[in-house]
Amino acid sequence: MKNFSDQEIIDSVLKGNESDYSIIIDRYKNKAFSLLNRMLKNEFDAEEVLQDCFLKAFNSLKNFKGESKFSTWFYKIVYNTALTKLSSKKRKIESEMSSVEDHFNLESEYDSIDVEKKDFSEFIHNTVNKLPGRYSAIISMFYLNEMSIEEISEVMQISVSNVKVMLYRSRNSLRDLILTSRLTKELC
Amino acid sequence: MKITDEILNKYLDGELNVEESEHVKSELQSSEELRKKFNTLKYVHNELFNLNEDEASASFTNKVMSKIGHRKFAVPKQQKYFIFSIAAFITILCLVIFGFSISAIISTSSPVSDSLNVLETVTVLSGGFVDFIKQLFSGKGLSILGSIFSLVIIISGYFFFEMQKRAKANLGNGHHI
Repeated sequence: MKNFSDQEIIDSVLKGNESDYSIIIDRYKNKAFSLLNRMLKNEFDAEEVLQDCFLKAFNSLKNFKGESKFSTWFYKIVYNTALTKLSSKKRKIESEMSSVEDHFNLESEYDSIDVEKKDFSEFIHNTVNKLPGRYSAIISMFYLNEMSIEEISEVMQISVSNVKVMLYRSRNSLRDLILTSRLTKELC
Repeated sequence: MKITDEILNKYLDGELNVEESEHVKSELQSSEELRKKFNTLKYVHNELFNLNEDEASASFTNKVMSKIGHRKFAVPKQQKYFIFSIAAFITILCLVIFGFSISAIISTSSPVSDSLNVLETVTVLSGGFVDFIKQLFSGKGLSILGSIFSLVIIISGYFFFEMQKRAKANLGNGHHI
């Protein structure tokens, strides 16, 4: 059953076999949850929003025409719902909704002593979670969900070049943080 | 060509042409600082592929599916509005007919004198009402009423049919994957 494509499952759900929607949920829940968790920085909010997203997607399933991949269509719902949640909570609204030209400083989040105590993977994982919502969303979609730059640009409704700028900036900030810490001795 | 962070990222993603790539390669060989920057960037890039996936709660799928199940049996908002509007229309129609018949009875019946007792008044009024109803359901009145009720029945029938069709689709256990 897991080998069926998204479109085949959607067709089955639309024919009235609503229980088949659980396959779609199982397929995307963890990846979408990771994206939301990084954007909202709160597990409870992330799960609540994710439920809302799956219900929204279910109710709009008949409007999905298959022009883009289901995953792109679904992540667009996830991303926009997360932005709505962020603005409704007025949590760091200016930094989350600002243009691609905004800047962030990860160094203020960590000091070199903290960095030394963590292993590399954990350090990278935690630091990605500290990135502003839109930047960590890009990292999550690109590396974890293995989406192309074009798909991310469609989800976020920004240009391909802006996605690249934000991706580069995220990587550079992580690299600079490592370079300023003593971790770099072990790496180079 | 100055090797900027953007160029290093493009080199990492293989987005530079052959000539540009060769230039970056030679710069990396000659500059230790640049090499250190690039190696760290490459390390970050590779490490990001190992990002852990966060897991939603174990009962998550069941929670969503039960919400979908509840939604299936709930009366949709539009249907609620439709039922309410039909009920309101019928109520208003009945009130109009009742009010109109009362006014018609009063206007057609002879003035009730003070000497007439209550029983006689009721008899006169009910007799007038019966006459009015007879008048309403014969000839011209009947055709107007018939048209209105037919319209209401046709519209209600259509929506009832749609509701039945949807319920059948939801409950059907036809072809599963």
